[in-house]
Amino acid sequence: METVIQVTDVEKNFKVFLDKAQSLKERLLFKNRSRHEVRQVLKGISLQAAAGEAIGLIGRNGCGKSTLLKLMTKIMYPDSGSIEMKGRVSSLLELGAGFHPDMSGRENIYMNASIFGLTKRETDRRIQTIIDFSELWEFMDNPVRTYSSGMYMRLAFAVAINVDADILLIDEILGVGDAAFQTKCFNKLKEIKSNGVTLVIVSHSLGQIEEICERSYWLRDGIIEKFGKPEEVHEKYNEYINNLYKGEI
Amino acid sequence: MAVFKELFDYRQMIVTLIHKDLRGRYKGSVFGFLWTFINPLFQLLIYNFVFSTILKSNIEKFYLYLFIALVPWGFFSASMTTGSTSVLAQGGMVKKIYFPREVLPIAYVTSSFVNMLYCFVIVFAMIIVSGTRINILALFYLPIVMAVEYILAIGIALITSAITVYFRDLEHILGIVSMALMFLTPIVYPLEAVPQEYQGIYDFNPMVSVIAAYRDILYNGEIPKIETLARAFVLGVLLFVVGLIVFGLLKRHFAEEL
Repeated sequence: METVIQVTDVEKNFKVFLDKAQSLKERLLFKNRSRHEVRQVLKGISLQAAAGEAIGLIGRNGCGKSTLLKLMTKIMYPDSGSIEMKGRVSSLLELGAGFHPDMSGRENIYMNASIFGLTKRETDRRIQTIIDFSELWEFMDNPVRTYSSGMYMRLAFAVAINVDADILLIDEILGVGDAAFQTKCFNKLKEIKSNGVTLVIVSHSLGQIEEICERSYWLRDGIIEKFGKPEEVHEKYNEYINNLYKGEI
Repeated sequence: MAVFKELFDYRQMIVTLIHKDLRGRYKGSVFGFLWTFINPLFQLLIYNFVFSTILKSNIEKFYLYLFIALVPWGFFSASMTTGSTSVLAQGGMVKKIYFPREVLPIAYVTSSFVNMLYCFVIVFAMIIVSGTRINILALFYLPIVMAVEYILAIGIALITSAITVYFRDLEHILGIVSMALMFLTPIVYPLEAVPQEYQGIYDFNPMVSVIAAYRDILYNGEIPKIETLARAFVLGVLLFVVGLIVFGLLKRHFAEEL
């Protein structure tokens, strides 16, 4: 199988300013206020996925999952190591990023699809599928500021899933919306996966990852603590979490 | 070169942003779209009063001489100053979604460019009303000059928008720079009025040849001199390339700085 995601020894540092001096006056008066410490968020991550595979990323808050996704989608760049992604990458990192509240649902579909690199004609071909998937027929011409957060999510998901990406990155969004729509999204993910799309899913819902992913990667303090068959990784992860709250670690 | 291919793939995003910008520019204002014309007309009125009534410029049809330079200058100045905030203003999107970041300054400059094209309707109306001779052959050079200015403006906007992300003061500094540059470009006076010893400074100002070319075509009714065009073209392309390189280096840390 062709490898479409190849992440090799990726490290990422963030500068954390303790108290950032912004103005000239502050910079001159409090010279050591611009002191910052460098925090290493990812300390050498390697992973890969072949076409049509799904991998899950799990771990506690702040372990670097979202940073890793941001590197994969090229919002940020690694300080060392390399990331190779083959094909069109679509990502759902934050719901409705790039939506314009005053524009209608339909206009936002075009706007959002263009941010994924689709031309108007390509969007024209998909618009009905997108609207049908979102089930927001009667609201299409209302401004999205009148939408509920659930409706917002449906629209965002419907666009992202229909741009015909080769790789889809999803950050913790399957938890939004009602149960019926969640199931629909999940089934759609399985469907596009069987069509050869590679999925990377960040989730706290271990059950979802076990159901769809070939492998699960457990990130802890910027390194991969364990990876492999989701059930096995999750067993260890759960053990760790349980111990954590018993105060044994 | 990969950036050009990617920008081509994202052309729809550029178009969408331009639409949004043009539509949103005067949204909610009573005069709406008319502001596109009111702004430069009032600028013309004020400058014309100062330079032909008070300072008494002896240039024939001074209002036309001025307006032909003022409209392209307005476009360039907007690209440099307001264009510098084009990435900053979309910080939310830059942090959350991937797209070639060059899209943002390019879209802003292009929408200002379209705005300038609208203003050229007034420029032509003024030329006709004033009874100035129109040289059809020279007019063929107008799109070339416009294209050169467009490339130049994109280059400048790429540089200023990328640096502003790291150094927010630049936005305010550029307000001053823009004012200084305006008076260091022959807009309210002819280049010949500049004393010999200062002419050297003008060689480095890319807008000097651009404005000269506009005036040759529209005011003098002449085909611009090949040296003027060549100088404008070389400086335009140079700044464009520098802009792409600078932007390309700085864009990698946009998401962390915003």
